[in-house]
Amino acid sequence: MKKTPLALLLTLGLLNTPLSAFAATAPLDLVGPVSDYKIYVTEKLDELASHTQQFTDAVKKGDLATAQKLYAPTRVYYESIEPIAELFSDLDASIDSRVDDHEKGVKAEDFTGFHRLEYSLFAEKSTKGLDALADGLNKDVQDLQSRVAGLTFPPEKVVGGAAALLEEVAATKISGEEDRYSHTDLYDFQGNIDGAKKIVDLFRPQIEQQDKAFVAKVDKNFATVDKILAKYKTADGGFETYDKVKDNDRKALVGPVNTLAEDLSMMRGKLGLN
Amino acid sequence: MSTTQTPPALHWALAGSVLLMIAAGGLFWYASNMAAAKRQHNHDEIVVNIHPHSCEPNALTVPAGRASFRIVNRSERAVEWEILDGVLVVEERENIAPGLSQVINANLQPGDYAITCGLLSNPRGTLHVTPTAASDAAAKAKPSMVAFVGPLSEFRVYLAVQSSALIKAATALNQAIASGDLAQAQALYLPARAAYQRLAPAAQRLAELDNQINARADYFEKREQDPAFVGFHRLEYALFQQRNLDDVTPIAQRLLADVTTLKQQLLAQSLPPEQLVGIVVRNLNSLAEVRAGSGEEERYSHSDLNGFAANAQTARKVVDLLRPMLSKSSADVLANVDQAISDFDNQLNAFKSADGYVSYDAVTAAQRQQIAAKAKALATAMDGIDPALGLSGL
Repeated sequence: MKKTPLALLLTLGLLNTPLSAFAATAPLDLVGPVSDYKIYVTEKLDELASHTQQFTDAVKKGDLATAQKLYAPTRVYYESIEPIAELFSDLDASIDSRVDDHEKGVKAEDFTGFHRLEYSLFAEKSTKGLDALADGLNKDVQDLQSRVAGLTFPPEKVVGGAAALLEEVAATKISGEEDRYSHTDLYDFQGNIDGAKKIVDLFRPQIEQQDKAFVAKVDKNFATVDKILAKYKTADGGFETYDKVKDNDRKALVGPVNTLAEDLSMMRGKLGLN
Repeated sequence: MSTTQTPPALHWALAGSVLLMIAAGGLFWYASNMAAAKRQHNHDEIVVNIHPHSCEPNALTVPAGRASFRIVNRSERAVEWEILDGVLVVEERENIAPGLSQVINANLQPGDYAITCGLLSNPRGTLHVTPTAASDAAAKAKPSMVAFVGPLSEFRVYLAVQSSALIKAATALNQAIASGDLAQAQALYLPARAAYQRLAPAAQRLAELDNQINARADYFEKREQDPAFVGFHRLEYALFQQRNLDDVTPIAQRLLADVTTLKQQLLAQSLPPEQLVGIVVRNLNSLAEVRAGSGEEERYSHSDLNGFAANAQTARKVVDLLRPMLSKSSADVLANVDQAISDFDNQLNAFKSADGYVSYDAVTAAQRQQIAAKAKALATAMDGIDPALGLSGL
């Protein structure tokens, strides 16, 4: 039966109104946020590359004070884009592995990257013999830049990245294990949180369409975490060392961080990417 | 009667509660066993033990599809376990605490993967994923809309990057014109055109704005003398024909404003998968049918080859974005397209000079016909992508 335009309009209207609230996200609506995320990651990597250059220049010049000062503000760019950076297992190991990942500990030949430099700069308080490590870090970061440029971002890794960042916070930041020599964990902490918040912000319209209450809850927990972190900001825009963080604040961070990790892990499902 | 004697009812109650406790205990034991059995069997978990220096088992074979791995850390340190495709992480679980276990769920395609276990120096394991009837069928099936989110996002990034390059090049051209430096302005016209030509397939969807940027004099009543004639070709006319920059500073400024708007509009428009291929085919067809033969596009500067090469780059970009999908289900179509791209590239490369490409007025009619034929062959080969991937049916 041929429908009159009016009947068609009414049917469409009736079908549309109640359904739209539950309709799945159209895949094409994800193109904007996924590509904007790649642009964000690319910008952060440009920053990482130029800051790494300055940081390693200071190391090679033997300027211990400057190298120590630049260590944390340089790393933060890596931390904010970790869901993409850690897709490249070899570079993630050479840039960001911890001493525990290496059988022979700090003296292991393959222990390189930020945390190996951190060990010399903060535990040994020395810049001696670090030239090769400094050059290697620069090269690895540039390599990461060109590999990310050639990578088609898998949408499920982008959306899943928000939860991955919060799991990272829960597992490595609250314990203070990541920056064990410099105790600059709060920089990384903020970097992880900002990176996760960016992903939520990019997909906000699509998630709100599915579940407004979810977004409100996530926002509230982000605000709680940010508020606690803000207490430890220093005048130069940096952060106090992690040993200064009071016990009650460490405890107060656990709840919202775990809830965020749990909630954000549902984003993939909400956007039809499971 | 002793007061300590317990009434019989209490005996029964005590006996009853003991029985209940035994029953409850039994039920609990039964339930927890069932739960353990479920964890082990119903989800088909594959248990991997991480020892201090190795994983056990270290060689895994699983059928394609969803698989669950329970990683048990039997070493003394927090460890990570990853499934790697080359150097790329497919799935991973970090910071598994000593003595604890975690589950990794992965949806695996057939193929051979490496697995890392614990210390970076520990030997890597292997994961062999065997094809199944379902994975064979999935490989042959046309991709779903979700599969295009990655490639379309990457194309939108390409548009963003190339638009920024165009704005930068137009800014430099604008400065050279404003300062009256003819030689510099002529030199800067070329990179600006190349940047535009990389965007041309997408820009041509924006009819009005694109006309302001790229219209030829023929479209205007008074041709070159028409006050409405603006954009690149009006500048080209001043730079290469009139060789006079007196009146064109406002035109260069307007071009800069228009390409800035172009970036915003390109990023705002949604491009469905069939258009991703369709816009490139249209662009190649216009090259083959009009631009190559006549050299009308760059009639004052004869820099046509500079633009053709930029068009070819975008065609290659689109093919590369669809390559993973094509190689899976339509290897023959991909082989045709790759051959046609390389033929077209070789054809254009034959006209390379020390500083770019030879002037198009030095390219003979027969050579122009060859360029057109290669562009047409590429357009035809790329026309095969839509039916192969089912783009129009999405």
